Amino acid sequence: MTLIPLLFNGLSYGVLFFCMAVGLTVTMGMMRFTNLAHVSLCMLGGYFLVQLTAVWSVPFLVMLPLVFVLTAALSAALEVAVLRHFYRSDQLSQVLLTIGLLYMSITAAAWFWGPSYKAVQLPQWLVGQVEFAGMSFERYRTFLLVAGAAITAAIFYGLERTSFGATVRACVDNQRVAAASGLNTSLVYTLTFAIGGGLGGLGGALSANMIGLDPNFPLRTLVYVLIIVSVGGMGSIMGTLAAAMLVGVLDVLGKYYLPSYGGMMIYLIAIGVLIWRPEGFFRMKGQHA
Amino acid sequence: MKRSLTALAAAGFIAGIGMAPAIAQEEFKIGVLMSYSGISATIGASVDEALAHYMEEHGDVVAGRKIVLVRRDTTGPNPEVSRRAAIELITREKVNVIIGPDYTPNVLGLAPVLNEMKTPAIITGAASDGIVQAQSPYYLRTFYSVSQNIKPLAKWAYDEGFKTIVHVTADYGSGINAEEVFKATYEEAGGKIVEAIRVPLRSPEFSGYMQRIKDANPDAVMVYMPLGELPLMFLKAYSDAGLNKSDIKLIGVGDLTDETILDAAGDTALGAMTAAVYSPSDPSPENQAFIKVQDEKFGGEPRVSLSHVAGWDAINIIYEGLKAQEGKPFDPDAFIAFAKGREFTSPRGPIKVDPETGDLIQNLYFRKAEKVDGEVRNIPFHVVPAVVP
Amino acid sequence: MREDPALAGFFRRRERWKLAELLFFAACVGAYFLPDAHYVLMSQVLIWGMFALSLDLLVGFRNIPSLGHAAFFGTGAYAAGLLGRHGVSDPVVGLLVSALVTGLLGLVMGLVVRRLHGLAVLMVTLSFNLLLEEFVHKARDLTGGDDGLLGIVISPIFGLVRFDYSGRVGYVYALVVAFACIWLVRAVLNTPWGIRLRAGKDNDRRLAMLGANTSADIVWLFGFSALIAGAAGATMTQISQFVSSDAVAFHRSADVLVILIIGGAGSIYGAFVGAAIYIGLRDYFAAIHPVYWYFWVGLLLVLVVAFFRAGIVPTLARLAHRLRLRTARRTEARP
Repeated sequence: MTLIPLLFNGLSYGVLFFCMAVGLTVTMGMMRFTNLAHVSLCMLGGYFLVQLTAVWSVPFLVMLPLVFVLTAALSAALEVAVLRHFYRSDQLSQVLLTIGLLYMSITAAAWFWGPSYKAVQLPQWLVGQVEFAGMSFERYRTFLLVAGAAITAAIFYGLERTSFGATVRACVDNQRVAAASGLNTSLVYTLTFAIGGGLGGLGGALSANMIGLDPNFPLRTLVYVLIIVSVGGMGSIMGTLAAAMLVGVLDVLGKYYLPSYGGMMIYLIAIGVLIWRPEGFFRMKGQHA
Repeated sequence: MKRSLTALAAAGFIAGIGMAPAIAQEEFKIGVLMSYSGISATIGASVDEALAHYMEEHGDVVAGRKIVLVRRDTTGPNPEVSRRAAIELITREKVNVIIGPDYTPNVLGLAPVLNEMKTPAIITGAASDGIVQAQSPYYLRTFYSVSQNIKPLAKWAYDEGFKTIVHVTADYGSGINAEEVFKATYEEAGGKIVEAIRVPLRSPEFSGYMQRIKDANPDAVMVYMPLGELPLMFLKAYSDAGLNKSDIKLIGVGDLTDETILDAAGDTALGAMTAAVYSPSDPSPENQAFIKVQDEKFGGEPRVSLSHVAGWDAINIIYEGLKAQEGKPFDPDAFIAFAKGREFTSPRGPIKVDPETGDLIQNLYFRKAEKVDGEVRNIPFHVVPAVVP
Repeated sequence: MREDPALAGFFRRRERWKLAELLFFAACVGAYFLPDAHYVLMSQVLIWGMFALSLDLLVGFRNIPSLGHAAFFGTGAYAAGLLGRHGVSDPVVGLLVSALVTGLLGLVMGLVVRRLHGLAVLMVTLSFNLLLEEFVHKARDLTGGDDGLLGIVISPIFGLVRFDYSGRVGYVYALVVAFACIWLVRAVLNTPWGIRLRAGKDNDRRLAMLGANTSADIVWLFGFSALIAGAAGATMTQISQFVSSDAVAFHRSADVLVILIIGGAGSIYGAFVGAAIYIGLRDYFAAIHPVYWYFWVGLLLVLVVAFFRAGIVPTLARLAHRLRLRTARRTEARP
């Protein structure tokens, strides 16, 4: 029966990746902008959390939305100041630009917070295990699953039920027609980037406890996030969700059953999927979420 | 047009690179080859502090020679970089002796260079067996050897009543070395390794491994991991999985609860019993004086650990060796011969250079992580004296 | 097909060796004789330059983004290492065999990637690099894992000149290999196949409509690029008689891309300019500020992409050209 705890662990791991990857998939689908520095925003969210908990003793549940807002604001600033000038550049330029930003963010983080891992102080109710059906489950991972479900629901509601969501969907489907219809695409871009970045920061903050927060965080997570976005399909939130869960579960299962070679599995799967379906599982065209 | 200009520019640059200057030799130069960046940056910082402390106490002139330190970064277990840095230190900076390197891959990569250039090096941060005199007659080590640390630990574990053990280590040279030595010693004594887990060095997700430990349900879990973030993450995952509240005991090598991660580990480290060649809580007067001066000078950042003492002992051996060669040009072979079999005083306790292996014959301290004055510390409870490497 | 003399003349003129190129080679040779020359560093510049040149074939001449080129460099490096360890110690033989083996691997990659575009190519090349890196770490018995491959024996070149730690012989060896690679790349790019390849950079669909078999071209291109990268890797192993997992690491792939962009893609020598700048800066900063030097790399990259997108030297070349045109026009206009 060890499969259940393993799945549980894998899914909670997947929630982290979903939060981190969803912003990237939307910006790649909408603005066609390859932003490798997205993981830097995730890291920043983590460091915001560390900084806030060190300075204020605000409840954890209040801290998280605050991290979201701060990272969103920073993402918006980054988009307006730097990134939007490169929407029309070729992919290689975008890759290089954002790698440059990535390197700068890593060294800046090392400068401000030092090279070692930072711990996040969790509130008491998130520490330890909870018993259920004769098995014990980590409280923090349970919290992640609940939070993940809430975030996913919020995203889908926002996309399907609000007018802003409709605008976003329109821009992802076809920017030119959306602009021609009179939508203020550059405002939409900035807001979408902000939300995506905020979610990424939230993901980073939530991961601090599970995969460790240090200046090398972006490099450790970049590959996973890229694989999830490309396997799930650019621009598809459903795809990102599925891919994130898949990656999380397979990574945990792989490390349990094949401890020596488990690490290779993700790459083999990525290559396999991309050869078979280069656009990812859920194609972007005609798909809203 | 484009190609012409780039060719011209390339010409200019190549010439420019070629003229990077080297420094002439006048004093006695010691190359310090440690990790100053990346996750292991604290190791380099620790060694630096200890060297500064030593040179302040003993002055920077020995036997008529002015000591100059030249630093190079190995950036972690990176034999490519370390080799290049060493070659640069020896051929361009003209160092006579090297303090370092750290990490087994770096040690192995450097051996042929030292042999050819006849430069002694004192290893301050790699623990694998058979990498000192066995690799090069110019190697000494002021750290510890895996066998020296593991064999007494394995025997003690069986004597303590742990009949079944799950062995967890990282998948790298020293780790596999440790696993083999522990298994051999422990099973010879009568114990049984029910499971041997090798965690990848770059592994962010521990939950699968914790599950395996739970499934195996041993008397104790034995951990051998390199200094740095891996033991920290292990302790965290171990406590998250609730294993530190169970009956399973946690034992390991000193790196598991090394002082540099103890603060960050906090309560997750409590109860862990480790064996190490240096225990900062050792009440001996030399040790307490050493720590006091270190903390005063550097504010306890990073906390005094084996890396400090390794650096201290290395430069001490060099100073003593130079005194024995006063008035003569430096003879590397004579230096090595001098060090072999000689006893030195060290904050960690009495040490002697083993003539056969180049390692130190030193005490092994058993400690338990307990909370003292609100701080988690490794409190010694048992000593095995003069362990042969 | 009748031959158009003007057209043929144009291509033949492009083929000729320019004065500046000869100066480049002269400078490289001359650098050997500089007093107190840092041979080890200069050899590294040449090796990285060759590696960047191999990537240039994909990125600069054909716009195929590859984030995993270290896979080929590493294959060449380990092939040479394994040969040296298991009895085949002649450097020239080792070099040729390693390069060919890597070239074959490149052909396989080309077959996998030929119909993919954009993000998919990036991800497949990246994943392959990471896969190979994992494999190198795991297969300790074969590759030495993290410790690196020890016991590599490289005999003196042609039985005469031994590789030593001062790096002199290594430098000359790297120089000869670099010359050979540059000559080879130039020669291939000036063949009809090479010209067709470069045409595909701007619009490969158009080229396919003209009847060229673009996907076969891509396969051969990968093979050729891998060959050069493998030669660079093998040279590195042979000069230092050592290879470690660093040769196949992802950050090597990222670094070589940075080098290529700084120097300028699509111009052969841009690779070497970039390498010289990068290695020079790294050496300079490593002594002062080892931790934070990547910050400057990142900043340089951002500035280059923002302002010198074609690469520092090509952009300056373009400016110089424009300036020359402007002054020419002005002197013409004057009565």
